[in-house]
Amino acid sequence: MPPQPLTVDCAGETLLLHPERALEWPARSTLFVADPHFGKDAHFRAAGIALPEGTLAEDLARLDIVLARTGATRLVILGDVVHARPLRAADWVDRVGVWRSRHADFEWLAVAGNHDTRFAPPADWRIDWRADPVVEAPFVFMHEPTRHPAGRVLAGHWHPVARLRQGRDSLRLPVFAFGPDAVVLPAFGGLTGGAPVDDPALHCYAAVEDRVIELPSAVTVPPATEYPRK
Amino acid sequence: SLSLLLSYADTQRQLAGVTTVVIDEWHELLGSKRGALLELALARIRALAPGVCIQGLSATLANLDEALAALTGPHRGGRLVRGLMPRETVIDTVRPATLERFPWAGHLGLQQLQPVLEAIDGDGTTLVFTNTRSQAERWFEAILRARPDWLETTAMHHGSLDRDVRRRVEDGLRDRSLRRVVATSSLDLGVDFSPVDRVVQVGSPKGVARLLQRAGRSGHGPGRTSALLCVPTHALELLEAAAARRGIEAGRVEARRPLRHCLDVLAQHLVTLAAGGGFQPDAARVEVEDTAGFAGLADADWQWVLDFIRRGGQALKGYPEFRRVIDRGDGQFIVGERRILQRHRMAIGTITADAAMTVRFVRGGRLGTIEESFISRLRPGDVFLFGGRMLELARVRDLTAYVRLASKRTTAVPRWQGGRLPLSTELADGMRALLADYAANEPVPPELDTLRPILDLQQRWSALPVPGTLLAETVRSREGVHLFVYPFAGRSAHEGLAALVAWRLSRSARATLHTAVNDYGFEVVGRGLEPPTGHALHELLLPGDDLAGEIEACLNAGEMARRRFREIARVAGLVFQGYPGQGKSARQLQASSGLVYDVLVRHDPDNRLVGQAAREAFENELDGERLRAVSAAMAASRLVHCEPPRLTPLAFPLWAERVQHRVSSESWVERVQAMVERLERAAPGPSGES
Repeated sequence: MPPQPLTVDCAGETLLLHPERALEWPARSTLFVADPHFGKDAHFRAAGIALPEGTLAEDLARLDIVLARTGATRLVILGDVVHARPLRAADWVDRVGVWRSRHADFEWLAVAGNHDTRFAPPADWRIDWRADPVVEAPFVFMHEPTRHPAGRVLAGHWHPVARLRQGRDSLRLPVFAFGPDAVVLPAFGGLTGGAPVDDPALHCYAAVEDRVIELPSAVTVPPATEYPRK
Repeated sequence: SLSLLLSYADTQRQLAGVTTVVIDEWHELLGSKRGALLELALARIRALAPGVCIQGLSATLANLDEALAALTGPHRGGRLVRGLMPRETVIDTVRPATLERFPWAGHLGLQQLQPVLEAIDGDGTTLVFTNTRSQAERWFEAILRARPDWLETTAMHHGSLDRDVRRRVEDGLRDRSLRRVVATSSLDLGVDFSPVDRVVQVGSPKGVARLLQRAGRSGHGPGRTSALLCVPTHALELLEAAAARRGIEAGRVEARRPLRHCLDVLAQHLVTLAAGGGFQPDAARVEVEDTAGFAGLADADWQWVLDFIRRGGQALKGYPEFRRVIDRGDGQFIVGERRILQRHRMAIGTITADAAMTVRFVRGGRLGTIEESFISRLRPGDVFLFGGRMLELARVRDLTAYVRLASKRTTAVPRWQGGRLPLSTELADGMRALLADYAANEPVPPELDTLRPILDLQQRWSALPVPGTLLAETVRSREGVHLFVYPFAGRSAHEGLAALVAWRLSRSARATLHTAVNDYGFEVVGRGLEPPTGHALHELLLPGDDLAGEIEACLNAGEMARRRFREIARVAGLVFQGYPGQGKSARQLQASSGLVYDVLVRHDPDNRLVGQAAREAFENELDGERLRAVSAAMAASRLVHCEPPRLTPLAFPLWAERVQHRVSSESWVERVQAMVERLERAAPGPSGES
């Protein structure tokens, strides 16, 4: 069975959550991803930590799949496009450029995140690079989720992961976390860790293999119950 | 720290003048990666200072000749010098008056507090040993709460306390200003003080030799009796204490074998050599093989490690931009970059524990370290017990947790992921021999008289696990069907057996199974699990011809390999833990070992360290040699399969184990959907616990 996105309503708009960890806004033909952290493995290798390459190719291939499925004409990255400033004219910067040239048709917009400071995207990326949040009613595109007066925030930064425990079984799943002020996307990059979100006020949707599964609210484990308290 | 010295070229030059090297507590280092690393360092010293005399100090071991050979290297002889005649050792046990409230499981043992207080009251000095740091914290707090008048003369000592704190305790023991110290194995090694009057051991000592060593801390003057008081924390530990006494009387102590072919340790050592002036591969290989741990290293393995430190992985694999050790061009392998040198020196060592956070007062000094996994679960305002004090978490910044004294009480104590020593074969065999005596109505030590109600219950509902039999129990509960098996082979071997059995069961039906282990046996539990009976059950439990291969296959498929990989990743330098005061650049280099493992499995599946995780898990963590011996014994045993109405005394501790592992043949989607359904059906509430 082909991967199935899940439809949700948000701020009066219809949004589609894709299991590849991307969010689609069909009304504006836009695809959102957050926290790809391109070049993270190269950064580690240059520091003497032997991570193999291959993640970038995987991530770009996943983007290809979702772009093809949605037919989106705009890709928005909600921050942490790169992991760190490349130490030399790194090979991965060029490879992203090559990938970009294969997709001449979409508009590419990015809101810079904390890992993106000191990175200047090359011209051949043809990317519209913004330092400040972008307002497009009813949404505001940002990196770090905070309340914004102009609308509902779409953001990243957290790398949200839900922890479920039931009896002896426990799971950690990347999630789209919907809160009253902001929607936080799971980290897109294949080499990214996750941080648990334990706020029962968040409504989460887990990306699991080829599906997106809605999680019942208030089932995540608050940290305090791990240790006995009297 | 010897490895740290070797990582500087200047120091290597100075070390050429060394005439003697003395290794203390060699019995402790021998079976560990620290020992393996030390063997490599000694080989370097022997090369730098050919006439060096190496001396080792060791407690009693069953394989002292092998221990000697590990110090000298395989090509040289040595001399064994034994000490004075062993003293008599007396082991007493605190036996509960009635078993009614005495738990069948658990590790704390605080219900025995009163008799312990009576035993350590009075003049004289006492050491109270516990098996874990958490236990030490709880006992220390409980003792002082019961006897606040002992505040000035009682202290605690464990590895996570700040060094200054520990030193003051050691001084106090030396000048006898402290009367009672609650300690972990931190006080076993390298601390010299005159013998104390009493030694108390809370919980199982896990081995005969260990108990002997601890008892030896007591009694003044040569020829005097050593005495130790065992405090069992649950019923079966009474049996352990009795078996330990018999073992001491019969002189049946354990052997400690050196680890073999730890490629992660070798990788770390080679980078140290590269940092300390450089090495020439062929010469280095000869030196490396001049150790018990790496003699007979395969060509392919040696080449792989060279490739790993130079290229990140095998040649032609995808590790562009990788820089760690480089070929200088004249055949010397060196580390050129300052930052890589710094990071390597910062991370040297094979003691692997979770990233440690410093604990310090908001205003004031350091208290010690706590593992990050514990702190990350707390919120500001939460209270926990550490260093004998109730502390409230104020905030966390960088790798430091700032605390203040709390007014509330709590029983929350940090858990440290210290290696859990398995029950030794000698002790396990001793326990079963005692049960055989009991079953045959032979005379037994008083501990078994105390245990009579529990042993009789076990016999009634099920059977006693006497030698020559393999006992298995099937129990049904709300959680599903449980299969309990009791080989009495120590928790390490049981990890492998449990993974194997669960793996085989999950092949025949789509299921998610959980396993739990302890020193006496293992449990496999799952919904809809239908374990076979009779001959088929015996087959299920017995490893086939390729035990190592099969376990490797099921470990790779399970979570165990990922867990084993944590240590390997740290030792080999695949993860970098960071350090206090680190800048942003170091933080950008942090990735969990689980993430690294996943990436390696996807993009470099032939990576030796990934394979090493499973292989090492088998040989070292699961005690491969012991596993083979146990499997042979299981094959020769008669299977006794019972279906008790409830959890038996043997089953209960397994059921209650906190740490469980999962083996599943369901897809992720099936598992998540099933769990979501169960969560929705369960009573709504903030906690998902059932």
